[in-house]
Amino acid sequence: MKGARAVVELLEKQKVDVLFGIPGGVLLPLYDQLVDSEMRHILPRHEQCGAHMADGYARVSKRPGVCIATSGPGATNLVTGVATAFMDSSPLIAITGQVATGVLGNDAFQEADSFSLMMPITKHNFRVTDPKTLPEIMKRSFLIATTGRYGPVHIDIPIDILQLDVSDEDMKKQVRVPKPRRNLAGLLDAIKLLEQAERPTILVGGGVTWSRAGPEITRLAEMLTAPIVTTLMAKGSVPEDHPLVLGVCGMHGRQVANYALNNCDVLLAIGTRFSDRVTGKLSEFGVQTKVVHVDIDSSEIGKNVKGRVGLVGDAWTVVNALIAGLQQRKKRANWKSRILELNKECTCDYDLKSDPIKPQKVVHEMSKHLPDDAIITTEVGQNQMWAAHFFKCYGKRMFITSGGLGTMGFGFPAALGAKIARPECVVADIAGDGSLQMVSQEFATAMENDIPVMICLLNNGWLGMVKQWQKLFYDSRYHATNLGKSPDFVKLAEAYGAEAIRVEKHSEVADAIKSGMKSDLPILLDFIIDPEEDVLPMTPPGKSASEWIKGRCQWKGGGK
Amino acid sequence: MEVIMMLTYDQPGVMQRVMAEFTRKKINVDTIVVGPCEMPERSRIVISLRDRDTALGVIEHLRALQEVIEADIVDHRRHEAYAITLSKGGVCRVTGTVEEVESVIKKSQPDKYIEVVNAI
Repeated sequence: MKGARAVVELLEKQKVDVLFGIPGGVLLPLYDQLVDSEMRHILPRHEQCGAHMADGYARVSKRPGVCIATSGPGATNLVTGVATAFMDSSPLIAITGQVATGVLGNDAFQEADSFSLMMPITKHNFRVTDPKTLPEIMKRSFLIATTGRYGPVHIDIPIDILQLDVSDEDMKKQVRVPKPRRNLAGLLDAIKLLEQAERPTILVGGGVTWSRAGPEITRLAEMLTAPIVTTLMAKGSVPEDHPLVLGVCGMHGRQVANYALNNCDVLLAIGTRFSDRVTGKLSEFGVQTKVVHVDIDSSEIGKNVKGRVGLVGDAWTVVNALIAGLQQRKKRANWKSRILELNKECTCDYDLKSDPIKPQKVVHEMSKHLPDDAIITTEVGQNQMWAAHFFKCYGKRMFITSGGLGTMGFGFPAALGAKIARPECVVADIAGDGSLQMVSQEFATAMENDIPVMICLLNNGWLGMVKQWQKLFYDSRYHATNLGKSPDFVKLAEAYGAEAIRVEKHSEVADAIKSGMKSDLPILLDFIIDPEEDVLPMTPPGKSASEWIKGRCQWKGGGK
Repeated sequence: MEVIMMLTYDQPGVMQRVMAEFTRKKINVDTIVVGPCEMPERSRIVISLRDRDTALGVIEHLRALQEVIEADIVDHRRHEAYAITLSKGGVCRVTGTVEEVESVIKKSQPDKYIEVVNAI
């Protein structure tokens, strides 16, 4: 069969049910074969959004998302989306067309060295130069993307390969990839450290979300009487209404969570890479703490924080091993009551009833009215941090955000991908007006493919997060952060045929959200919020947690 | 000086990917030797860099690469050096331990030379 037919069959064999792609000259043979395929094809209006959709799909379904782009500008447009997935360890298969092998390197029309461009932002990538290797490469790509630490894999397929023959033998070739090396040599040391700890804390990161180890970790926390703090990427992996869960920590996280992180004697860190957003000033982070670092990627252990014990393995497996090995149960009554106290201390009333609307009010109403299995995506900036800090994730609620790369415009297409993976769930994107303008063309995709998501736009007319930093650290010397003449977002959404509601009074927020949830069409809720409202509390960059900026937060600090 | 020896697949793009790990970590690689080895479709890459901490910081990342089969820091006693020098007397090949080769180059002051570290 021809290479193009082989690609389609190989995708179908991987049980791919949806593709996100934009065709182009060098992809015509492939798209001709896709006409006869049962796989659903979604046409985004920008390749970057195609990649974000595949990413959102992957994060919800926990299976690789597949995106396709043509050569040259198609591939370069895909780069941001693939880099986003790479930073968050999301399994993506990015297939790009390429000019024929005969003209490669001669600056042909729409030629770009996508192989080199994608190299640093993928877990691995391939350029197919021999049709015999095509089936092996496709199979290997799916295995690499979903083995060990997940990540995006890129396959560059020149047009002549799509037109050459692939034999049945080549198609049948079996492929294996090496399993990640596990290293649990320190398991007994880890168990001893945890048993002897007076004030243990558990830090969970994105790896726990991928490994779906939340319930086991909650159980371990109960056994150890340890609070659980999460990174941004792990929000939703453990229920935030559990008395031992202190929530998101880090720069814009809950200060009580930072307190538990910085005042424990043993820190069990699972599936996290100790990003600077979590640790703040690295040199001061956990100086007196003994760290047990569990990660599936051995190169993360000791990279940012030198632990006492490193355990290399999958989160779910290692946590179960720890549970099985834990013999002694210390009472830790003081620590336990401190944790419960901390959770009580961190309950401010953010149902702010003032006009102009405060963003906290919007997130409060969303938290209150969205169902227990709602999926939230966010853009990047103040909207993301208000969502992370104030939206409560419990039950089956999922929180999907671009944490590592921080890509504006991620939320809307990711919401579309998430909705395709779980059409029965309410999917809402908490957006900012800056981010939304980068991807607003995807309303067309949403309408064309009947993907009803709810966009909760926190509209303040500024690039809010940058403005906040200019206010706090550059003496309010605002520059290039006022968005000025933004469109009438309601008219913009309606121009695409979507529904839209503008909300300017706090009393109308709840009703808007309730009707948004019920809509059968994509719907934009344009909340006009107070442009002066900052995301606080915050730990400034390069500072330790004790130097936090309070804002409305009335927490009096933990003392010691 | 530390030396890392890798066993990799012999395919286009492998060197680019390996070197990218060093670029990302802002490591200046002093010398690099790559060539076929006793196994078909495999190559060995021998890289020398300045210090042990740098080498330890990058080696796990090298092992994580799909095309790198093994990566290890080579014991100092196994370090070898090779240099080709050009001087008025003509081309000269110098091999030996790192200290021997460097002292020959220092003494002979050639017009041009290139020196690499190798190991097996």
